[in-house]
Amino acid sequence: MQEFSVVGKRLPRVEGHDKVTGKALYVADLKLPNMLYGKVLRSPIPHGKVLNVDTSRARKLPGVKAVITGEDTSKVKWGAFINDMHVLAFDKVRFVGDEVAAVAAVDEATAQEAVDLIKVDYEELPAVFDVFEAMEPGAPILHEGNNIALHQKFVKGDFEGGMKEAAYVFEDKFTTPIVWHAYLETMGALASYSLSGKLTIWLSTQTLFMARQRIARALGMRIADVRLIQPNVGGGFGGKSCDEPTAMICGLLAQKTGRPVRLINSREEEFQASRPRVATNIFLKMGFRKDGTIAFKDTKVVNDNGAYSAKAPATTGVTLTRVDTLYRFKNIRGEALLVYTNKVPTGAYRGFGNPPMHFAVEQMMDMAAEATGLDPTEVRLRNATQVGDVSVHGWRVNSCALSDSIKKAAELMNWKEARTNKKPHQGFGMGCFIHVSGKRHFGNYDGSSAVIKINEDGKATIFSGEGEIGQGAFTVLSQIAAEELGVPLKDVEISVGDTDSTTYCHGAYASRLTYIAGNAVKAAAADAKKQLFKMAAEMLEADPEDLTSREAKIFVKGNPSKAVTVSDVARGCLYREGGFPIVGRGAWDPPSELQTKDTRDGNTSGAYSYGTQMCQVEVDPETGKVKVLNFVAAHDSGKVINPMLGEGQIEGALQQGIGYALTEEMAFEDGKVMNPNFADYKILGADDMPEKIKIHFVETCMEPTGPFGAKGLGEPGLVATSPAIANAIYNAVGVRIKGLPMTPEKILNALKEKRANKQ
Amino acid sequence: MKRKIVLNVNNDNYEVEVEPGRLLADVIREDIGLTGTKKGCEIGVCGACTVLLDGKAVSSCLMLAVHAVGKKITTIEGLMKNGELDPLQKAFVDYGAFQCGFCTPGVLMASKAMLNENPHATEHEIREGLNGNLCRCTGYAKMIDAIKSVAGR
Repeated sequence: MQEFSVVGKRLPRVEGHDKVTGKALYVADLKLPNMLYGKVLRSPIPHGKVLNVDTSRARKLPGVKAVITGEDTSKVKWGAFINDMHVLAFDKVRFVGDEVAAVAAVDEATAQEAVDLIKVDYEELPAVFDVFEAMEPGAPILHEGNNIALHQKFVKGDFEGGMKEAAYVFEDKFTTPIVWHAYLETMGALASYSLSGKLTIWLSTQTLFMARQRIARALGMRIADVRLIQPNVGGGFGGKSCDEPTAMICGLLAQKTGRPVRLINSREEEFQASRPRVATNIFLKMGFRKDGTIAFKDTKVVNDNGAYSAKAPATTGVTLTRVDTLYRFKNIRGEALLVYTNKVPTGAYRGFGNPPMHFAVEQMMDMAAEATGLDPTEVRLRNATQVGDVSVHGWRVNSCALSDSIKKAAELMNWKEARTNKKPHQGFGMGCFIHVSGKRHFGNYDGSSAVIKINEDGKATIFSGEGEIGQGAFTVLSQIAAEELGVPLKDVEISVGDTDSTTYCHGAYASRLTYIAGNAVKAAAADAKKQLFKMAAEMLEADPEDLTSREAKIFVKGNPSKAVTVSDVARGCLYREGGFPIVGRGAWDPPSELQTKDTRDGNTSGAYSYGTQMCQVEVDPETGKVKVLNFVAAHDSGKVINPMLGEGQIEGALQQGIGYALTEEMAFEDGKVMNPNFADYKILGADDMPEKIKIHFVETCMEPTGPFGAKGLGEPGLVATSPAIANAIYNAVGVRIKGLPMTPEKILNALKEKRANKQ
Repeated sequence: MKRKIVLNVNNDNYEVEVEPGRLLADVIREDIGLTGTKKGCEIGVCGACTVLLDGKAVSSCLMLAVHAVGKKITTIEGLMKNGELDPLQKAFVDYGAFQCGFCTPGVLMASKAMLNENPHATEHEIREGLNGNLCRCTGYAKMIDAIKSVAGR
């Protein structure tokens, strides 16, 4: 195995000291001279025509510097996949929270007062909140034509033949709700407009360059006339991908006033109008042969888009197909519908569309285990995808330690023995998962690029526009650069994301940064190293091919005593006639393919991560309350660049995944979010987490295309969590819960039904 | 009507003019300019705004600035001593006890108050003690390990 000096080490975060001392600045901490404060007026009704917006009283309020409505906008519609959003409503409002007008004033209180003085006349329209009702003839139409935003359908393999081969067939409906990212920092922007025509926005975002494109489109500007700078970001989990118009509104207010404007969402606004996880209805039918192998799968997905299309069109395709490369599915049929309703638009949230389908399929795997008499681990091992497989959608599996992860998790949980000797009302359950490392879906490009300059003191500065949102990208990318350059981590620093000073980067989503940005940074470091070695070779009177570097020293392999330092070389290169600074550049686009539109064929990602989660739960039969006692996660992420940060990703994902399984749900009444705060929308506290959590990285299979063998690990931690818990509940008390969250009420009802059926 | 008050924050006195209804969190962040204290939920549930008042943890988003007059306020900016990280801060760095860092100042202040009161808190006590602080990134595991490492001394 390759020996590393920086990669694979449990190193503290490069930005750590700023974050423990309060010095890390987030957008709400930033202030510019003469700054104004923005506030947004939102629709109180779920569906209606905007007849008139009277801003006269608001404008007269002392301290108000601008009031804008839809009439002040370009009226260009925008969106990630379907252009159906506006910056401010000019024709209709389509959900409670839809942006209608905005104010900039000298302080927040004045801005809020002005918002309250704006009078909007609506013609209320009938609204629809249920996806099935929204597809009925005569349903209220949100946009044009009908309410179906997307329809996908395919048949693969010998579906009819697979049906005939099946000895056991299971059919069920599973549902999952809209849940919310609940990052601790609400979204916000600080915009400053210069008369030269440049709009600079410090934005709480995880996708700088894509945000810039959308802002430019919506404001009718040239892309390069918008500059986005990423301050520290207080968590994103998919929610800060510029799929809602905060940045556009803030930018427009800055343009109108000629003064800097800061616009920060309140917690309630976030719940009402950000872009939470898509709610799903999954109709699943699976057939198994006598030996437990999968004969066929038939899936229909009906997803709730909400009022506009953010990322839900892509999410829906993921719900339908990603699981198909977890096992060796051959004969499958799939159909997905994405339907508009008058609720908050939905979008990207950690795991994208993947967790809901795992909740369904992984329960059916357990049903098959029970029917065939095989252990749940055995059914999965018999179907598990292996290295070298090409799946039914054409996904090429270069690395896969799924089987190893099943065995390792079972060992860590002492699975067979613990299940056999379990206490009453306790149960053990498992779930396996697949996830991607990047997803090619924004044009035919999923690459990354980076520049590394070597300062004259030998310190390397990475310029990357991918960005840090808490996931540890700065540290991991710095480690990769340090390893490649042969310098200690302290000799590497990384720039903040800034669209003016970094090259184009897609940003943080789809667990793509370690794998894709890591390869780009590695390539940039290799380029810088090549230049360093060329100069060092002159200084050492050696051949560049014979050189190596370690601990910031460059020397002929096998002869470290005769060395020059990186700093010597960087200075030597610069301070001479015709000198130049050492600047490395790197770009890398993974070996993936754009999927065909309807049939979803094509290798969507360059690398796939796998893993197994197991848990032990206790169900109180009197209250229906579930307590997760013990959790094991054995993940295949290839080579883990920083195991301490890697564990942190999975531990954090488990907090979200257990919440998704047991407690979290956005509640709606007539389209209005009824629990828009942290008191009523409960996320798990320290005391709610299992006391025992074991994280293990199964590093038995390196990803050949990954930087030092690495692949993505940020999102997968919650993909298999809800089915593992569902299966453990079944193992504990014999009831299958098919709708998330698995609340005490649902469990008690199921127990009641079970008792009634027995009698 | 604005009123002139003096607040003692991290051993420095600040004279500020505030409306009687103004929150301590806003005065600390906006008027005094110490932005390490965060606002996460506005209703005293998430703990991001936790500061110490005479050594005890309080939610500064639920407290009026005028009520903090005459008390010793400590914010995250006051946790370092003589240019050295507090043992808790150092442990948080070493154990990887934070990710996005937004809840971290509040968690550190709450932990500081917890250990002030109970220097050898057990894991169970630490879990309970952290219940007023929400974190969406870490799952709390490494936070608990970090605090345990300091409590174990």
